[in-house]
This record gives sequence, C-alpha cells and structure tokens, in this order.
Amino acid sequence: MFFLRLKFMTIDGVSHGASNSPRLGRRVTAARLQAGLFGFWTALVFAFLYIPIILLVVFSFNSSRLNIRWEGFSTRWYGELFGNKVLIDAFQNSLSVAIATTILATLLGTVGAWMLYRYKFPYQRALGLLIFIPMVMPEVLMGVSLLVLFVQFLHLPLGFLTLTIAHTTFCFPFVLVGVQARLQGLDPFLEEAAMDLGATPLQAFWKVIVPYLMPAIVSGALMSFTLSLDEYIVSVFTTGAQSQTLPLKVYGMAKVGLNPQLNALSSIFILVTFLFAFGSYFFSRNKKT
Amino acid sequence: MSLIAAVSGVHDSGGYRRPPNLVAWLVLMPLLAWLFLFVIVPTVMLVVVSFAERDALGRIVYDFTLQNYIRAFDWLWLKVFLTSIWYALLTTLICMFVGYPVAYTIGRAPLHWRGLLLMLVMVPFWTSFLIRTYAWITILSKDGLLNSLLVSAGIFSHSAEILYTPFAIVLGLVYNFLPFMILPIYTSVEKLDNALIEAAYDLGAGPVRAFSQVIIPLTRPGIAAGAMLVFVPSIAMFAITTLMGGGTNPTIGEVIFKQFTSGRNQPFGAALGTILLLIFVLALWITRKYREED
Amino acid sequence: MKKTITLVLSALAAILVGCGKAPEAKKLSVFCWSEYIPQSVIDQFTKETGIQVSVENYASNEEMLAKLTAGGGEYDIIQPSEYVVEALIAQKLLHPIDKTKIPNLSNIAPQFLKMSFDPDNSFSVPFMAGTVGIVVNTDLIKDDIKSFSDVFKPDNKGKIVVLDDAREITAWALLSQGLAINDMSDANLDKVKPVLANWIPLVKVFDSDSPKTALLNGDVAMGVVWGGEGAILLQSDPKFRWIIPAEGTHLFIDSLAMPKTAKNVENAEAFMNFILRPDVSKKISDAFPYTNPNLAARKLLSEEQLNNKASFPSDADIAKMQVFRDIGTQGSKIDEIVTSVKAQ
Repeated sequence: MFFLRLKFMTIDGVSHGASNSPRLGRRVTAARLQAGLFGFWTALVFAFLYIPIILLVVFSFNSSRLNIRWEGFSTRWYGELFGNKVLIDAFQNSLSVAIATTILATLLGTVGAWMLYRYKFPYQRALGLLIFIPMVMPEVLMGVSLLVLFVQFLHLPLGFLTLTIAHTTFCFPFVLVGVQARLQGLDPFLEEAAMDLGATPLQAFWKVIVPYLMPAIVSGALMSFTLSLDEYIVSVFTTGAQSQTLPLKVYGMAKVGLNPQLNALSSIFILVTFLFAFGSYFFSRNKKT
Repeated sequence: MSLIAAVSGVHDSGGYRRPPNLVAWLVLMPLLAWLFLFVIVPTVMLVVVSFAERDALGRIVYDFTLQNYIRAFDWLWLKVFLTSIWYALLTTLICMFVGYPVAYTIGRAPLHWRGLLLMLVMVPFWTSFLIRTYAWITILSKDGLLNSLLVSAGIFSHSAEILYTPFAIVLGLVYNFLPFMILPIYTSVEKLDNALIEAAYDLGAGPVRAFSQVIIPLTRPGIAAGAMLVFVPSIAMFAITTLMGGGTNPTIGEVIFKQFTSGRNQPFGAALGTILLLIFVLALWITRKYREED
Repeated sequence: MKKTITLVLSALAAILVGCGKAPEAKKLSVFCWSEYIPQSVIDQFTKETGIQVSVENYASNEEMLAKLTAGGGEYDIIQPSEYVVEALIAQKLLHPIDKTKIPNLSNIAPQFLKMSFDPDNSFSVPFMAGTVGIVVNTDLIKDDIKSFSDVFKPDNKGKIVVLDDAREITAWALLSQGLAINDMSDANLDKVKPVLANWIPLVKVFDSDSPKTALLNGDVAMGVVWGGEGAILLQSDPKFRWIIPAEGTHLFIDSLAMPKTAKNVENAEAFMNFILRPDVSKKISDAFPYTNPNLAARKLLSEEQLNNKASFPSDADIAKMQVFRDIGTQGSKIDEIVTSVKAQ
C-alpha cells in the first residue's frame, strides 16, 4: 500500500533510538531535566484548570441553595435534576447543536484550509482576512445581524437550523486557523508522491493528508464543540423556543442564585466524559501492547 | 535559524501552489458561499446600519448620517479600545508562556496518551461558564478559599483584595482562553521529528539552545495560530471583566453590548463595531504584507 | 470510516428534515425572563387547559426588545417591565387585552393598577413588582444609613456594590438632587454628571445579575440592589438590613403583555388569568421573593414571607416610590456618561 510507505517516510518519525555521541550522558541529563520541569509545570497547569471544577463538584453535594458556602452533604440536587425536564431538554439541545456545529465547522475549516493551501485562488489574502471577521466581531453584533438575515432575508424559522448556522459561523475559523498552522512546513512531495503511486487527488487527500492533519482536526473539533456548548449572546438572538440551549436557561438564573442542579448536571457530564476518555485510552493502549 | 537549516532542510512550498481548476473551485464553493452569506452579508449590514439613525424604540431608520462616527471619535472610546486590547495582549502573552510547556509535554507524550491529555485540557470547559466563574469568585473572594488558606498558613496577616482587581480579570481570561493556546501549539509540537531534536542535541546544543534555535522556530506556526485564537476573541470578551473585575473598567465588547441593549442605539454600536473590525483588518493586513516582503 | 460518515450525514439530514409540523394543537408561545415563571406553574396550566406552552427565555428587557423589533420569533406572551410597556404601546406594538377574559385582575392591589405607563391596563397586567433599595451588612457598617447620600460617601469607597445599570444609577443621582426620576433631559443630565463623577469611583462592584454574591462573600459591606436580591440576603443572614432610601426610589412592575403579532390571543388571555389566580400567584411568590401585587395571593403567604421588608415594603414606602417612564433615545447618552466616568 502506497500510503503505508509514505507514512513511514515522513509522518511521525518516532525513533527513540539513543544517539552515539560522546557527550551523551550530560545531554541526556539536561534533556531529562527539561522533560521533568515541563512535566511538573504541566501538572501545575492541570491543577489550575481543575480547581474550579473540583469546587463545582463539591458544591453539587451542598445542601444549601446558594452556591456560596458549604452547609452540609446532600444528594438532593441530583434527585431534583432527574425530575427537571426543562434543564435536561436544554442540555440535550445544547449537545445536539454542539455536535452538528462541530461536524460542519470541522468540514468547512479543514477542507477550506487545505484548498487555500494547495491552490492559489485570486484575492486569496482578502479571503484569509475574511475568515477572522467572525472571530473578532462582538457577539451581539453577530447575533443581531444574523437574526435580521435569517428572519427578514432568508425567511428561516428560528430554531435548530439557524442556531447551528450561527454557531458554525464563529466556530469554523478556529478549525481553519489550526489546520493552516499544521499545514505550514508540510512536505509538498507527500501529496505528489501519493499521486505518483496512483492515488487520485481525493484519495491522496483522504489517505495521506487527512491522517497527517488529524491532530489539528481533532483540536479544531474540540474547540468548536466547547465554543458552541457555552455560547449565550449569539444564541439568544438566533434560536427559537424549540431549541433553547442550556446557557439560555442558566443566564438570568444568577438573580435567584445558580441552581445547584446545574452543578449536578455538570458533574455527571464530566464523569461520563472521563469514563469515555479513560475507556478509549485503555482500549488504545491494550491494542498497542 | 542556521541550526534548523543544518538539521532539517525544510522544503519551500512557495512554488508548489497551483492555480485552481474547476474542481478546486467547486470544492471551495461551500466555504465561499458560507463566507458570503453569513460573514460578508452580515458585515455589510453592520456597516450600513452604522450610517443609519434609530427611533425611540431603537428600531433602525435608514437615513444616512455620519453622526455615529463623529460621536465615536472621542478619547473615551479610544481609551475603552486600548483597555480591551491591553487585556487581550496580556492574556495572550501569559497563555503563551503558561501553555507552551503543557502543549510540548502533551505533544511529546507516548502516542496513546496524547488524545487523553488533550481531552483533559478541554473537559473543564464543558461545564457552564457561569458556574465555573462563580466557582472562581468563591475561591478568590475576601472570605474565600484562597484567602483563608493564605491567612491560616501565615502568608498573609489578613484577607487580601484579590477578586475585583485587574489581577482577577487576567486570571479569569487566562483560565478561559488557555486551551485555545495549548491545542494549536500541540498540533505543531506533535509533528516535530524526534530525529531533528536529537540532531540538534548532537550538534552540541543544550536544552536552552535546542528550544530557542530549533524547537520554538519549528513550532512557530502553532504559536502564531494560538496567539490569534486567544488574542482575537478576547478583545470583545466582556463577561469576565464584569464578573471577576467588578465591571469598573469598561471594555469594548461591553460598551457595544450596552449600546445594542440598554442604550437602544444599534447604529452607534454598529459604528463602534465597524471601527473595531477596521482596526483589526488593517493591523492584520499590514503584518501579513510585512511578513511576505520579509 | 465511510460508514460512520454516511451514518452521521443521514442523522444530520434526519434532524434537519424532522423539524416538520406537529399536528395542530392548542398552543401558546411565551417569551419571558429566565427564572421568573416556575415550570410547575406552566405544567399546571397545560394540564388544566390542554394548551401546549413553548417557553423562550431572555435575561434583560433590552434583549427581548432587540429580538422583538428585529422581527425574531412569534410570541403570544412577553414579559416587559413598566417603561418597556409604555414604549411598546407608543409604537403600537402591543395587542389590546379583552379584560372581560381576565376576571382575576380584580385580585391586584389598586396601587399597582392604572399606572402612568398603561393608564387603563388595556395592554398589560402586573405579574410581579419590586423595588430598588439599600442593603447593609450591619457587622461591618455601624453608621445609620438612611439614604443614597449616606451610601455614596467617600468613607465607603471600595465597600459598595450597585446594579450595573446606567439608568438606575442616574435615577438615584436625580433623586438625591431632588429632581424628577424620569426627567432625563440634557439639562438634568448635566446637573447630575458631577454627582455621578463623585459616586461611581466609590463603587467596587457593578452587578445587575447577582449583586448579593459580593455581599454574601464579604467583598463589600453595602449595596444598592433589587428587592428580590435583598429578600434573599435577609432570609440568609440576620446581619443584613434593608433600607428604603429616604429620597424615594424606583418601583418596577414586570407585566404580562401580548405583542401585536400574537397568534393565540385567547390562549394568551387564559394564561394571564391563570397567572393572576391566587393559588398560582402564591406558587410564584414561593419560588421568587418579589413583591406580589396580588392581594388574594398575599393572604395565602406565610408570616415569614410577608414580614420580609425587601419583598413587601409598607404601603407608606410604596407611596414614596415611582415607576420608570420610557426615556426613548436618551438611554444611549446615559450609558455614555456612566461609561466615561467609569473609564477615568
């Protein structure tokens, strides 16, 4: 198979072989020290990322309604959460919009980045600037102008479709910029070699370029999913009653105190994600060894 | 740079890009259509509205006026712009220094670990923004966890003002934008060739030189992408400056939001937004042109 | 891989196509504040009448107004505050109410009816009311605070939380100068500018959504906040004291109204009448501690609820309060004044 050989040639040259240089010992120590320091730092940063999350989980078991002081252990909020159809529906809406957005944004961003890299289109620099507009445009401007566009020009009913379009619009630049960065310095002979070995451009893209871009695609997808899940202002203006997402229910809740059911919901979601992530980790590890 | 050239021999992709054929145009079409419908059209609408007036209810009245721009050219709004850009810049720099070692560690971790670690960076942000932020407020407040920890450990004699200060704003911004720095850098680190790093060491470079002369230059595209993904969206972000900073220092996102809502003055908000877009597009255009000529 | 993609695409297509029309049912579309109408109340309405209710939420009057005026959504019920009702009436954007369909309107205390913003209640019925007042943490503040002027003193710098609402702050400044709360003319704004320039630098936190947080956490010692926030603080700790400012203050009335474009007018009127029923109104008071204008419902409330001064100010206090009138295009200028003082 041609792509297997190519992979061997250029992608991921994981060669852990030790070098035979004379000053090996000192350099290995220095490299280890660097890895150790970076590892320690990484652990610190992970602690920083998870501090509020630990608090959030702890407070999901707090008996107090106000999310501020610990007053005793209770599983009350978990019980109430399962009876709260509105919150669970909103969460489901958030998830389906985030998933649809992730798929669309990843497709648009990846294909767009590749085409802009591979070909020289006219006005390419202007095109490259346009992509940043949704990123810099304040959310309220984007929300209101998309609302006017949907309602007055396109006559689309507000709901899942309009919400997904709006979210995709501000998410795909994140994918595109990430994939562009990964493409820089790509071996130009990678695609050509594949085609010399008889692959069509589509095959070359699918079997050689996409695997090479995969880390950037995954990163872009993760970013899109996260951005979509948490968007409030754009959502207010571009959704309808049938697609009320979680942030729409949460904002404005602060005035009576954020409902600890939300902590319970977040805790469960994190737990499920962890189980899934660690599960796939052990799966992939067992496959390797 | 000479060290990279010595060890890598990076190919120049300059002469590689082809003029598009029909198929290429067709494949690019969805992106072009999307950009036209959902980016260009709304932007044009924004610019049109910025030259319009509004009625008592805030509805747009399409009478041409320059009033919104005349009002926008005032020291006040410039100061607000500068505050926003300053916070965005600070956030980007801190995210870079904090995030790089993390991205490097994940990118160099054993293959089957990487996906898991990447997920772990992102998962905290799959909780609700408000709950996360109120958790930080609980931690940083005067009677909060951090202060009681510091006081009981004897580091501080009494509770310090941490929340509702610029420090809290930057902390909140860095916290929320850090993943958008780590992920793009990771994708650049991940493709580094081990042989290249080893070659650098073989040529006598210590870790400091290996980083400054080989690794960081090679991962520059990722750093640049991360910087864009953090800097650009954080300019107009205002939920953190109001919640964790106490809302005492207005930023451009907040000002535009208020003109659109309580101010009932969409044309003026649109004019401020148009100026923001213009400044941004000009800055980007100049840096890119400069880079190309370089 | 290909299979997964086909699967995902077909699922996506199914979602897009699946949003078809449901069989014609009795429907009602409500656009309301988040956390203001308990879900149990909506469920009970559906159970009793068979009318399916779809709910959409917003977090401020202005978000609602921006969406409504841009033509977004088709709503039967909206929930505007008093000055927004006035603006919507003036622009002929509300549907008149057939009051014979709402007999429960007689449950409302007269002091909340026939107000300046809708003199005959032809377009709106009161949902909940509330006020803006001063809350003081008596552990930290020993002075006897009576008025806005007592709050905004240089000694209190860094100890104050206020609503992040330019119009509110300006209204308090007007009151402190003995000026009319609703006269936002340029001349009056010039008069209160120096007052605002003195007041705003004293403030540590601007927060409209949850000013109680800074008070509960001990970051500030006093605040000018919504009555609902005050009520929660009073419930949570006796150290908090509620004060109606001596200069007078803002009485807000959140109402139910129908946009001109409402499609299910009869259902909307049935909903209004339902909300004004004493037992239903009591449920809302149990969930959210605002000033309930419904006298029949108040009889069902507990002593503790009625004794909460932040929820239920005395009639004498209410007589000193004023509702907001619509100020049209001046809002933009007020925002600019407050922003300019903040940015200094």
